[in-house]
Amino acid sequence: MAIKFSNTFLLRKLHQITGIVPLGIFFFVHMFTNSKAMNGAANFDKAVKEIHDIPYLLLIEIFGIFLPLLFHSVYGVLISSEAKPNVLNYGYGRNWFYMLQRATGIFLFLFILFHLLNLRFGLIPGLTEVAVAGNADKAFSIVASDFQKTWVLIVYILGVVATAWHLAYGFFLFAVDWGIVIGEKAQKMTLAGCAALAVLLSVVGINAAFAFRSPCGLMPKALCEAPAAPAKAAPAGPTKF
Amino acid sequence: MTTNAHVEKKRLENPPATIKFKIQRREKEGAAAHWETFEIPYRRNLNVISALMDIRKNPVTIEGKATTPPVWDMSCLEQVCGICTMVIDGRVRQSCSALVDDLLLASGGDTVSLAPMSKFPNVRDLKVDRSKMFEHLKKVEAWIELDGSYDLGPGPAISNETAQERYALSRCMTCGCCLEACPQYGDDNYIGPQAIGQARLFNMHPVGKTTIDNRLNGLLDDDGIGNCGNAQNCVQVCPMSVPLTKAIYETNRDITVNALFGWLKK
Repeated sequence: MAIKFSNTFLLRKLHQITGIVPLGIFFFVHMFTNSKAMNGAANFDKAVKEIHDIPYLLLIEIFGIFLPLLFHSVYGVLISSEAKPNVLNYGYGRNWFYMLQRATGIFLFLFILFHLLNLRFGLIPGLTEVAVAGNADKAFSIVASDFQKTWVLIVYILGVVATAWHLAYGFFLFAVDWGIVIGEKAQKMTLAGCAALAVLLSVVGINAAFAFRSPCGLMPKALCEAPAAPAKAAPAGPTKF
Repeated sequence: MTTNAHVEKKRLENPPATIKFKIQRREKEGAAAHWETFEIPYRRNLNVISALMDIRKNPVTIEGKATTPPVWDMSCLEQVCGICTMVIDGRVRQSCSALVDDLLLASGGDTVSLAPMSKFPNVRDLKVDRSKMFEHLKKVEAWIELDGSYDLGPGPAISNETAQERYALSRCMTCGCCLEACPQYGDDNYIGPQAIGQARLFNMHPVGKTTIDNRLNGLLDDDGIGNCGNAQNCVQVCPMSVPLTKAIYETNRDITVNALFGWLKK
């Protein structure tokens, strides 16, 4: 007898894949790029410029980020709407994680919308009117001026922590939903690894946000390059890779 | 793995003189539900069913209003048939093995609340219609084709490991606890852990394996295994310690290998 897949089953699998492959990879790259702000404005602007120079950028943006994101978030909200949370009567750890995955998902739906309108398109009133996209030379100063506002910084920190958890726990969910991790002991080990990943991504992301307020963010200055003195900038110095 | 019955019970040192039972009542399917509270004298070693029997003898509410005796299901009285399952103090479990002392120790009060399971049609009071679970078993073909026109002979040997896991799965008594506690189950949009566990039981059997596609197909519908949300309440509330999440994830692997990537074998 041949196997027949229902639409719901295929959509769930697609939802899991889009969360890990395009969006998960994108988040790692995003946090890596943000962290370049630790080494100063010029370094960050250069990183943004390098992204602008990626070949097929528009196609990658549309098919690698925007469409997977749109599907993952809209279908995710639909899945969340089917949930009947019962953590008050059944307060087990994994049940809380189940609810948290949906809560962070809905929060991130709103946060990412705000984030895109704010920095990708420069359309949030009261914040920057210049988009980072297309303005690599001003990238650092655009973000830095918005991040001077404490509420903006807090919103972004919440966004980063929520994404870090949603993604890290998403790895666990992917592992069990595809039958990679099966037994209770393997589940525990996977969860511990995912929790560690969530902490790591949160620390990196939060520090990158603070790097737009002070060089090197919250990390010891010894970790970062000394900011080049403005008088004797680029021309004399050796090329940095 | 221990079931609730094997846990050493703590004693309630200063029991109250009387205890109250707040019971959800419903006259018949579709009628509006309401709550009634009854008070009975405390006795050592009462379980919820013996308390219900006390209430049934004299069904008068705490306000002194005569009412109908509460209706509930019961049979084995030793937590192996599953029919007396109800929601006790907010948690689903069998009422026969729910000792009043333990409930009072856990809540610290003198009132026990009883409600029918919410994910099944409520026939009357605490009685529900659980036939949906039988439909689920039929859907995943939770059986092995043995009868034929000729003698099939003895089946292949089963490893000890497989036999033990199958035994654990076979303990399912179709009580409905896993479905009641599942935050994804309800509104007929998810077949639930009970049927997945039984599909796994028969997929693990050497003869049952020959019809694994039929069972996987039953789990790949719109209400299938893909709707599991991994809250894992099922395995926590299961009174028979059936390894339900393991069964779900092993079935996920079967689906990934045999179904999702099956075309790579062609």
